[in-house]
Amino acid sequence: MSGSRPSRLTVAGALAALSAVTALVFVTIGATPAAATAEPVGQCTTVSGVLVAVDFGHWGGPLVRGCGSTPTTGFALLNQGGWFTQGTLHDGNAFICRIGYAGFSAGQGYPTSATEACVQTPPANAYWSFWRAGPGQNAWSYSQVGPASDSPQAGTVELWTFGATDLTGVRGLPVVSPDAVRAYPPVAGTPAPTPSSTHPTGTGAPVSSTPAAATRPGAAGASPSTAAPGQVPGKAPGSGTVPAGTAGQQSAGAAASAARAAAPAGVVDALPATAAAAASGSPLPALAGLGLVVALGGAAGAAGAARRRRRTGPS
Amino acid sequence: MSGSRRVPRALHPIAWWLWAAGLATVSIRTTNPLLLLLILAALAFVVANRRTEAPWARAFGYYLVVALSVVALRVLVRTVFAGALTPSEHILVTLPQLPVPSWYAGIRIGGPISLEATLSAAYDGLRLACLLCCVGAANALANPKRALRVLPGALYELGVAVIVAVSVAPQLIESFQRVRLARRLRADPARRLRALRPLVIPVVEDAFERSLRLAAAMDCRGYGRAGAASPGARRVTGAAMVAGMLSLCAGVYGMWDPTMAPALGLAALTVGSLLCVLALVLGSRRVMTTAYRPDPWALPEWAVSACGLGAAALMSSAYGVWGLNPALSPLRWPALPAMPVLAICLAALAGVVSPPPPPSRRRAARPAASPGRSRPDRVSETVA
Repeated sequence: MSGSRPSRLTVAGALAALSAVTALVFVTIGATPAAATAEPVGQCTTVSGVLVAVDFGHWGGPLVRGCGSTPTTGFALLNQGGWFTQGTLHDGNAFICRIGYAGFSAGQGYPTSATEACVQTPPANAYWSFWRAGPGQNAWSYSQVGPASDSPQAGTVELWTFGATDLTGVRGLPVVSPDAVRAYPPVAGTPAPTPSSTHPTGTGAPVSSTPAAATRPGAAGASPSTAAPGQVPGKAPGSGTVPAGTAGQQSAGAAASAARAAAPAGVVDALPATAAAAASGSPLPALAGLGLVVALGGAAGAAGAARRRRRTGPS
Repeated sequence: MSGSRRVPRALHPIAWWLWAAGLATVSIRTTNPLLLLLILAALAFVVANRRTEAPWARAFGYYLVVALSVVALRVLVRTVFAGALTPSEHILVTLPQLPVPSWYAGIRIGGPISLEATLSAAYDGLRLACLLCCVGAANALANPKRALRVLPGALYELGVAVIVAVSVAPQLIESFQRVRLARRLRADPARRLRALRPLVIPVVEDAFERSLRLAAAMDCRGYGRAGAASPGARRVTGAAMVAGMLSLCAGVYGMWDPTMAPALGLAALTVGSLLCVLALVLGSRRVMTTAYRPDPWALPEWAVSACGLGAAALMSSAYGVWGLNPALSPLRWPALPAMPVLAICLAALAGVVSPPPPPSRRRAARPAASPGRSRPDRVSETVA
């Protein structure tokens, strides 16, 4: 070391340069909470809205799809109209670890906390992978950005599927094609008129009447919106990306079919529902816990003080 | 405390290590800040009541400082290199933001700092801090030199390496105290950063020297001797040990990595433990040791290890209990699950059921009375 003066100068210079750079590139993040809202699925067409589908097939559930207005983000789509997500403690809220919908399985988020604590980043063979297909596209692409940084154009389809996917997104493709998600369930020749009414049950689209009734996994096959689950794969041949047969996902990757407990038990439309009230809970347990901490810590402090007195006192 | 009626004595070091391992298991399982703070309080309670006056017994305070800086560092890194922000988060403060190239998308440098991100980093850091403090408590409570004596015979060959590795942290703390006192006595005016160099070099040198001296003292007493074993037998033992350890590592990795078949990890774990046991049995057969001043393993040892291991068992039974890993979105007060609280209180009971530490001798109470002088007599005395 050659004295402290030059080093202090260089440090000061570096700091000045750094602050100049940061001042130059000062960017206030456009805290524009996109006015995204959940819409009935019928509102999502090739030119408006973004479809989001979540495949609960890993737990024997249906593929639930919802619709949101643009501008929006992949994150906002899963946090409106009864959808909710949970992040991990390690990576924050934007890393989607758990997904739930108020109308499916009594609002239970999947994977459940018994199998995934959502503390660390989930493993590569059991996480929600994020797939996108732009307007007019019928091939899934593994999203290169996180859902909070994703701003889909109108007409985009987004799909979340759970299971094994490597980081390049080659394995574990979704079992339903983008067109199948778009087109299902309108039956041939009867394109549903889409009035702007907020009561989707009044439309011609065969959406389920009440979310809770129609989206129970057991009842999914019988609900009107899932009258013909076999049609889902039937739409696929045109796609070429996911030639999923009714028997399973032979060509979608052996690993994916092995990891999957069951094929989606149909497609269910997610009605815009109100999210459960976000209660912040009672502060009483926290106060009781802190009291316990203070009591134990106080006992420790008293013991330490007594020891110090003993050491310094009589000697 | 009713401890005054009991005979003061030092507990078997392994009992304290078992207890600390149990509490560490508890802290791994949760990110609830209340439970983690409670664990820290329990550790402090037991250490304050049961530590001796030996130099290494002050380790806990140093570990606490390191642990708190871990929390601070975790929060700092998380706020500077923040992840994507979600609309529901509560912004505390907005820093200037550096633009990043597209291949770096998803990570911000600077920008708004949310309460949620700060809290989650603090919870995560607190868990690591708890783990560190568990090790610190064991270091403060257990005599590191006596702990070495329970090494199985086969490990004597690794004696020197193991001794240097295990005793370097307590020695560092002891050296730090001695060097700092020496500097204070000489009225060295250097402060803060500039005082670092005259402090660090003697401390590292001193700690290393003392570890080597301890290793040499153990070597004199027959640790690390090959005994009457033939070179072939020694090679077999060594090979079995290394293969067993490698297999154990692979097995543990296999058990933890969910992308691997669990059977593979289990098999590697089994083979590894078998090989290790084989090597230990083979190695121990030819080493004859006699104990001078053996450490007893009596009721208090059972009680203390039961406190730690019982806490770990209680916590395992509470796996998946709501409240162990509080969610931060939406923000809510952390819960206080009953079973884990019970487990931590059980662990804190070790501060009551263990016998009080033996009264300090004057020399041990004033470790730095003669900071410059080396004391080889103490080394040999504590090893034997």
